[in-house]
Amino acid sequence: MDEFQEILQDFLVESFELVEKLDEDLVELEANPTDLELLNGIFRVAHTVKGASSFLNFDVLTHLTHHMEDVLNKARHGDLILTPDIMDVVLESIDLMKELLYTIRDTSADAGIDVSECVVRLDKVSGGDGDVETPAAVEPAPVVEKMVVAAAEEEVDYDNMDDNEIEAEIERLLQERQSEDRAKREAKIAAGESVPEAPPSPIDEPVSAVPEPEPEPTPVRVVATPVASPIPVPHSAEPKAAAPAKRTAASVEQTIRVDVKRLDHLMNLIGELVLAKNRLIKINDDVEERYEGEEFLEELNQVVSIVSLVTTDLQIAVMKTRMLPIGKVFNKFPRMIRDLSRELSKEIELHISGEDTELDKSIVEEIGDPLVHIIRNSCDHGVETPGIRKAQGKEEKGNINLKAYNEGNQIVIQIDDDGKGLDADMLKNKSLEKGIITEKEADNMSDKEAYSLIFKPGFSTAASVTSVSGRGVGMDVVKTNIEKLNGMIDIESEIGKGTSIKLKIPLTLAIIQALLVGVQEEYYAIPLASVLETVRISKDEIYTVEGRSVMRLRDEVLSLVHIGDIFEVERILDANEYVYVVVLGLGTSKLGLIVDTLVGQEEIVIKSLGDYLKGIEGIAGATIRGDGGVTLIVDVVAIMQMARSVKATSLVSTSASAGAVSHEKNKASDYTVMIVDDSKTDRTIMRKALESMGITLVEASDGQEALNTLKAGEHNFDAMLIDIEMPRMDGYSLALEIKKYNKYKNLPLIAVTSRTGKSDRMRGVESGMVEYITKPYSADYLASVVQRNVNFKSEFL
Amino acid sequence: MSDKLKQIINKQNTQQSVVTDQLDDVVQLVGFVIGEEEYAVPILSIQEIIKPFSWTRVPQVPPYVMGVFNLRGAVIPLIDLRLKFGLAPKKHSDETRFIVMRHDDDVAGFVIDRLTMAIRLKKDHIGAPPDTMSGEETMIDGVGKQEDKIITILKVNKLLERDF
Repeated sequence: MDEFQEILQDFLVESFELVEKLDEDLVELEANPTDLELLNGIFRVAHTVKGASSFLNFDVLTHLTHHMEDVLNKARHGDLILTPDIMDVVLESIDLMKELLYTIRDTSADAGIDVSECVVRLDKVSGGDGDVETPAAVEPAPVVEKMVVAAAEEEVDYDNMDDNEIEAEIERLLQERQSEDRAKREAKIAAGESVPEAPPSPIDEPVSAVPEPEPEPTPVRVVATPVASPIPVPHSAEPKAAAPAKRTAASVEQTIRVDVKRLDHLMNLIGELVLAKNRLIKINDDVEERYEGEEFLEELNQVVSIVSLVTTDLQIAVMKTRMLPIGKVFNKFPRMIRDLSRELSKEIELHISGEDTELDKSIVEEIGDPLVHIIRNSCDHGVETPGIRKAQGKEEKGNINLKAYNEGNQIVIQIDDDGKGLDADMLKNKSLEKGIITEKEADNMSDKEAYSLIFKPGFSTAASVTSVSGRGVGMDVVKTNIEKLNGMIDIESEIGKGTSIKLKIPLTLAIIQALLVGVQEEYYAIPLASVLETVRISKDEIYTVEGRSVMRLRDEVLSLVHIGDIFEVERILDANEYVYVVVLGLGTSKLGLIVDTLVGQEEIVIKSLGDYLKGIEGIAGATIRGDGGVTLIVDVVAIMQMARSVKATSLVSTSASAGAVSHEKNKASDYTVMIVDDSKTDRTIMRKALESMGITLVEASDGQEALNTLKAGEHNFDAMLIDIEMPRMDGYSLALEIKKYNKYKNLPLIAVTSRTGKSDRMRGVESGMVEYITKPYSADYLASVVQRNVNFKSEFL
Repeated sequence: MSDKLKQIINKQNTQQSVVTDQLDDVVQLVGFVIGEEEYAVPILSIQEIIKPFSWTRVPQVPPYVMGVFNLRGAVIPLIDLRLKFGLAPKKHSDETRFIVMRHDDDVAGFVIDRLTMAIRLKKDHIGAPPDTMSGEETMIDGVGKQEDKIITILKVNKLLERDF
């Protein structure tokens, strides 16, 4: 049983791979019905599936593929011309085949799907007597047809072949193929030293079905045929010459199948490593600052840069293993366009380029649906019917270009059509009718904003609901899916010329570039993909319109929202005169996010907040920073939503609470002084010097502790004695931190240090120290400085 | 020789079963104090107990959710049990601890005022929660009786359940 399962798995994997290529080939085949290489390929698929399914006892599948094989075999021998109608039957049968394969995958049996109708039609086609419609009547390309008919005449023997003979022929071909494969394998083993042997089977017929690397059969046939027109020669030879090259390349490629879970696990580990790397870099910076000029620093620097380099390379390498060519998604579109154009009776040609562009697996999975909707939309609303196109002097056949390319850290997928374009006024009117926007909004809308109306839920310009579109759902799906991927949508359009939709998507989801911003004492990470630019403005440049903050950004009016209003940040720190505005762009909308500081760009690893905290509005996740702290990642989509309901608050903090804590001093112990020094001895010396005054003394062993004690608010400090050199946070940084708070603006900070350099003194002044005492000092001197600074009342002495 | 081996093995087996018998009717708990009350949770649901360190505030959550913190690479929510139980907030002291509890895949850190000790309680010394507090909704699993006091045993899965 296990063995069977194993075989079954192999069968499914192989079949799905074959089927995936099939759609593309079939559509190409319709354009070049005589392309033997293609036909042979398709025939092989049907045959392989048939063989394996009969071995595995999937009777329904065998039955179906058997008849497909019949039709394809006839076509291959030129007995049958693949007209669009026959193609419909073949495509239908392939759809059925896929369905059967899915059923087998899910249930390990092929029951439950009725193939009889399709088989009858296939049979009619292959039998020739069935009246599926005479091939000649609907043949769209008469030139090609002529040639094929001519070719068919020549090998008239095949018409008379009965089933057995055909079977025998297939057998023969298979053998040839197998021996060819064997030869290839041997050649590979010989590691390219020997030239691949020629296929051992003799080719004794003018038309050979062997997948020869050279397109030699065609010229032979064309020359032998007196009726053949000269035009098809290059036409049919060209794709054939291209096809074998592509296929050989694919067969040489060596791959290994790896469980996606393993890759995910690897990705997680890399994530941890990136975090550790960030942390190492930060520590290195700290060490550098503290031990400037020491010799071991250079060595440390080297190691850190090697580690960080290798980590980055490793990350890229692992990311690459998760990459899939976007062609995997693009493959299904030729078929879709074909079906759609027949359904809509339009002539549309799809041009695909850049299908080798690679994207993370998870994104490839998500991008399919949006593309389907956009392309359907282009077919239905974009490209006009041949009649209209002709009247407008355009080519009757409409074109849709689908291309993918890299642009920096992003992948751009561009969908262009040369249809009628988007009419901004019409879009506005429709939206007004449907109540999606108000009249006022419509008046203020730029063309670009109007184009983005097509993404609003419930919006549809189609007069009636068809099976293709008109429900006003599709494009909404596009927007939500792209936003989910942190992507952006850009629409350009010109009436009568066409529309171009660009989807910009980040390369990967797990590790992203982010802009770190600070607000008060908190930090947030904003995905860089959504950041258009940052600007520094003075507060005067912020206007309030209808209770909302706005600013002028070049020739645009940008609505603003303070990040603190969104995340309920308490305003404790003094607000600066200048603020930074991070301009966020998402899809087609923009928003200015006001922040206090810009910290910089950093690579962050996205971590989930877990079940307990999931779904917090405005937060997409969290990341761990270099210092080991957690920073929340902003959910730009949600912020845009939330910004609408957030009222603007004044940026100037009400200073009522600040500095109002000056208590009456009634006794010496009402005075409180903090001693900040990392050396216990130094602290004791200071304590001894000041104890005699009778004031309250609080000690802290470094800057961080001092700051925490200060913020805890248990004491109202009248002065602080600060050592400069301390671990964790030095005296200068401590002073700078303290001076950020309004209520400590006037708190005297006294440096007590052994650093005597002039530049040290300067730094002290810059960071807000009022006095500078150098060690050693006399106890009286220290006491007098403190007394002076705390306005010590003389009666307590 | 083999007889001897068998004997030893038998002996070991009986010893083990005795041990498991003992374990079966004893519950191991870790006790801690919040406000004036002593509470306990099963020792097996505790991943670790750590000294307080910095955390990051998370917006739009009830006050008792203090934020998230980094536990060796994992981002874990931090919940203040004082606030959760409706007590006034209190500054962290030297005795304050974060207890990281786990139930299935849910993990969270809880701030408690002070640890007491690991407690072994016989199952028959644990009573059902008072009638007024029983039912699906209560966080109380039972009441452990000790010689001089009683301890409220909490349901870890309830503590880890999001209720906002």
